[in-house]
This record gives sequence, structure tokens and C-alpha cells, in this order.
Amino acid sequence: MRKTQLIARDELRLMVRNRVAVIAFALLVLLTLVAVLSSWSHQRANAELRARHQHEAEHAFDAQPDRHPHRVVHYGHFIFRPLGPLAAFDPGVDAFTGSSMFLEGHRQNTANFGDVRQSSMLIRFGQLTPAFVLQVVAPLLLIFLGYGVLSRETERGTMRLLMLQGVSRGQMVNGKLMALGAVAALAGLPAMIGFIAIAGQPGALALPMATIALGYAAYLALWVVVIVLVSAAVRRSRDALLALVALWAIGVVLLPRVAPDVASAAVPLQNRLQTDVAIARDLRRMGDSHNPDDPHFAAFKASVLKRYGVDWVEDLPVNYKGLLALEGERLTSELFDQYARQSYAAQNSQNALVQSVGVLSPTIALRSLSMAAAGTDFAGHQRFLEQAEAYRYVLVQRLNRMQAEAVNYSDDTATDPGADRRKRVSASNWDKMPDFTYQAPSGGALAAGALPGLVVIMGWLAAAILLLARTSRRLGEGR
Amino acid sequence: MNHFGAPPILIDGLTVAYGDHRVLDELSLHVPAGSITALLGGNGAGKSTTLATLLGFVRAQAGTVLVSDVDPGADPDGARRKIAYLPENVALYEHLTAVENADYLLALSDERKERGVITDALAAAGLQQRAWDQRLGGFSKGMRQKVAVAVALLREVPVLLLDEPTSGLDPRATADFNALVSAVRDRGTAVLMVTHDLLSAADVADRIGFLEAGRIVEEVEAVGAERFDVRALHARFAVGTERHAA
Repeated sequence: MRKTQLIARDELRLMVRNRVAVIAFALLVLLTLVAVLSSWSHQRANAELRARHQHEAEHAFDAQPDRHPHRVVHYGHFIFRPLGPLAAFDPGVDAFTGSSMFLEGHRQNTANFGDVRQSSMLIRFGQLTPAFVLQVVAPLLLIFLGYGVLSRETERGTMRLLMLQGVSRGQMVNGKLMALGAVAALAGLPAMIGFIAIAGQPGALALPMATIALGYAAYLALWVVVIVLVSAAVRRSRDALLALVALWAIGVVLLPRVAPDVASAAVPLQNRLQTDVAIARDLRRMGDSHNPDDPHFAAFKASVLKRYGVDWVEDLPVNYKGLLALEGERLTSELFDQYARQSYAAQNSQNALVQSVGVLSPTIALRSLSMAAAGTDFAGHQRFLEQAEAYRYVLVQRLNRMQAEAVNYSDDTATDPGADRRKRVSASNWDKMPDFTYQAPSGGALAAGALPGLVVIMGWLAAAILLLARTSRRLGEGR
Repeated sequence: MNHFGAPPILIDGLTVAYGDHRVLDELSLHVPAGSITALLGGNGAGKSTTLATLLGFVRAQAGTVLVSDVDPGADPDGARRKIAYLPENVALYEHLTAVENADYLLALSDERKERGVITDALAAAGLQQRAWDQRLGGFSKGMRQKVAVAVALLREVPVLLLDEPTSGLDPRATADFNALVSAVRDRGTAVLMVTHDLLSAADVADRIGFLEAGRIVEEVEAVGAERFDVRALHARFAVGTERHAA
């Protein structure tokens, strides 16, 4: 057996003979298993619930009776964001952003029913997911098991004992890295088993999964190198433990929580009320289709009459109210899109700011990587919102066009007792409306989104290895 | 340079300084195979630095240092392979038993031995059988030294360095240890011992050097059955330490 392996084996033997270490490791494995199972079951239940609700919503929409198309516009339609299999590993912002939307005319609603709003406050601290365990808990376990790997040898004088047996500094450091690396690999094993189970699910994409596996492996490897580095740099184990716990507290706990607050303060985002007030103000400015003196709608009416070569809306071959609804929806949607773009831009600026802090905290970089590859980051949420809005616009405008083409203007404006029945269109039309189908991004697109985080972690890993090589040159020096 | 026939420990004109402070000042010392040399000196005389230089942990500014023809400054790993070293506080692994310690250290130095050979060495070092498979956590200093000496015996290295080996030992344990070191010497090992313990040095050493301010100011060889005039040694040692303190 090579010296490096002998040193690694002895380090592992020390850990095995230390009951506290064994118990801590067993607890981590148990925690990861619980996280894998609970997260898996939560994801399955959520995915099934959303699919069932989506089916029921589609059925309810299609089952509407004969109706005026504009009533259908206001009847609206619920759509649900389908949950990808990788959300079982890292649900990302899904619990916070909401997963369903109510689509209707004249309004762009936000997503609803996020887990956070429906669950206890504990979920805000962090869900028990495999991602959370590997990002937060596993480094802490590695610290407690590994802070003394080299400082203990220095402190007790056994480092020189090893050197006197002809062990080089490199062999000593590599042996310690190997031992702690084995612990890290074992700690990550239950999560990886869960990951393999996810790989068998429909919709699981190989490239993002490989990116996640690589990212987490690099992250744990980084902690292993940092722990050995700090243990090599200080002469007392107590100092190594203090330094490493401080690094963990700042890098894993503090920065990932402070960074979003800093980003929120730096790039303020309008709240729902402010946005609604601003939109209402702009809508008033835009004009009133019911006011015959409104300049925009007067011009619109004139252009329609001119296009059809008639003098009165009653002479139009189509229902003018339907045309008005089409124009009104076009205008309001443009306005909504403008506000949505502003909101996306602000949120993306906030995310960019948080990610730039990721250069200081590899945990932030790993979170970005993990959520981006799992498709559960803000970009994934935005993708859903954009697709939902595109679907809403098409649906509403189809109904408006139906009003223009299938409902007679005179019927539409009549108020006699039988008018309501004459305004209705056949229920068979609702079934012909397209259903919402979420277009999931490709594996390449998800992996590309995760790349910046991976680059940051790899950069940290390379820097830590270089620093360790430099620090270990001085191991055991002095009188 | 051919050092054929050179003693296992050869130091010539060794100078070591920490900053402006010269700790060793043109120190010269030869320890032949099968002999024990004791270096006596007060605190700061340069005893530990002499050992650290032989072990390759401290670099010499000038002079020659060879451990069985290997320069520890140029090839520390090569020199360390020739040395067994017992520091003042013997460093061994407390989570391992005496046998496991020996097995681990021998495996690291590519000199793995069967369990029977290891237990024979532990017995030869005076460690009682019931302690062989006990973890070192509860061992006394004397017991740890016995394990370390057993490892040294098993490694069959030409050089044994001892740093204050008898400090903290009771007279019985000191006598046992001295007997053990004599046995190692008789196997042809060159032993260099740095110590404050004049009586122990007089009991076991073949030559005693008085180290003051980084150089050997006087050397005394053991002669006849009486070996050393302990009173004279004591007087000499007291003068040296007082001069150093002043």
C-alpha cells in the first residue's frame, strides 16, 4: 500500500474510532436519506396535484355551456406549471414564486399558491432537500471531521514522526485529502442514489444532471481542500476549527442570506399595490373605449369604418364590440408587458447582483448552478410566466375575434329578453381552444444557465489547491 | 566527496542562525557507530537545533552535516530514513494500540514486519505483554518511549537521536531506559542524546560534550569501570549553565 493510502486509511481509522464522528456521519446520512425521500415524495405529489388540477381546469373550461365569448374571457382559465423531476433534488424558487396562474382578459395576474404561503414559517428557513443538505450541512460535518487532519499532527508532534518515516509533505497532504474526500463522497452518496432514481424519470435530462453532479462534487471537493488548507496553515486544532466554522458561517449562512437583501436594497422592486396603481393610472391615460370623445378610440373607430368602407359601426360586416375588445386587449397587454419587462429586468438585476456575490461565496454559486440546471431558478419561473402570458393573449384574442365574427353587433347591443340567448356561441367552441402546454427548456439550455456557477466553483477549487500546495511546503518547518 | 568510513553522525563547522542570533557556531561533532554521545547544555545552548538540523528541519548557514553520508539539508527525506528520533514528549498515535503504532510507522517507512516480530521488539523494549494491544491513550511516558524504541529497533536504522529522553521519568524507568539505549548501541547504532540529566548521561554515554553558546567547549570520554568523574562533570556543568545564564 502506498504511503498516501496508508495515511488516508489511518485518518479514516481515527474517525471510525471516534464515536462522535461516527454518530455525526450517521446522522448526516440519515438526514440526507430523509431529505431524498421527503423531497422525492413532495415532488411526486406536487407534480401529480398540478397535473390533476390542470386536467380539471381544462375540463371545466371545455365544459362551459353556450356563452357569450366575452363571458368566457372573464370566466378565465387556470394553468399550472409542471414540475420537472429535478425539482425533487432542488425545488429552487418554486415554493416561493407560486405554480399556478389564473388567466383572464384585461389582466395579467401573478402566479399563486407557492408552498411558502401555504406552509408553516419553517419552510422559509430552508426546505429539507438533498440540495440543502449537501450545500449547508455536509460542509459542517466535513469541518468537524477534518479540522484537525494536519493541525492535530503538528500540535501532537506526529507530523515530524511521519516525516521521519520518510513521508513527504505531499504524501501527507494527499493522504489527508484522500481520507476527507472519501468521507465527502460517502456523505454525498445517499443524495447521489436519489439523483440516480430521478434519472430514471420521464423528462430527466442527462446534461443538466451531469452538471449538477459535477457542481456538487466540485463544491464538496472545495470544502475538503479548504479544510486541509486551514488545518495546514495553523498550528493549533482549536484555531483551525474556529477559522473553518467562521468561514462556514459567513460563506454558507450569512452571505447567501445577506446578498438578496443587499440586492433588494440596491435594485428596488415595486410591490404589487404600487404596480397595480401605476397600471391603473396608465390605463386611464390610454383612453376609454366607451367614451365617444376619447381621441384614441375615436381614431380607431374611424380607421375601422374606413377600412371596411362604411359610415356606421352597425354597417360593419363584423361586430364592432369584438373589434374594440381586440384593440383594448392589444393595448392593455402591451402595457402589462411593459410593466412585466421592467419587473423582470429589476429581478434579473437583483439576481445578477446576488450572483456577483457568488464570487465571494461558492455556496451562492452552487445554489445558482443547482437551481439553473434543475430549471427551478428565477429564469425558469420567468419562462413559465412568459409562456403563460403568450397563451393568455392568444386565448383572449381568439375569444375576442369570436365575438367579432360569431356574435352579431345588433344582438350584442340589444337588451330585449331574448337578446342574451342570441349573444351566445356554441359550447363546442371551447373544446377547440388550444390547451396550455409548458415548453420545458432543452438540457443544453439548462446546463448553459448553470455554467457561470460551475466556473466560479471550479475557480475557487483551483485557487484553493494552489494555496494548499503553497502552504504545505512549510509543513513541519522550524525547530 | 567520498565519505567512505565517515561516522553515521558527522558535523563539521556547523553554523545555524535565526536572524542575527547564532544558535550554532561552527559546531563540530562525530558520533561513531556503536557509541553513545551525550550533549549537555543549558537552555538555549543549541541542543535542540543540533537535532533539528540533523533531521533536516533546520537549514545550516555553513558547515557540513551528514547522516550516514546523506546531507539532511539537501535530502531531508533520505536522511530521515536513516534516523530514529525520540523527542522529549514521544509523539505516537493515541487512537492506535502499541502494535498498531509500530505496524503503521513501519509500513510508512517501507519496513513492514509480521506481528510476531513487532511483539518481540516490544518485549525487548520492556513493554509488558498486556499493553501490546492497548491504545496509547492511557500510556505513561516510559511506556510510550518503549514503543518508540521498539520501532527504532525494528527499523534497524544506523542513527538514534534522543531529545531529553529521561525528563519526567522516575529513577527505575530511567534505569530501564538507559539499559535499552545501551542495547541499541550494542547493535551498532550511533546514538546522540541531548539532555539536562547529567547522571543519566554519565550512566549510559561513551562520550559527553558540553555545549555552550552553540559550540562544544569540552568533551569527556568514559574511561574504565568508573566511566566518568560525576563530581567533576557536575562542577563543569554548573559552571557552564551559570555562564550561559549570566
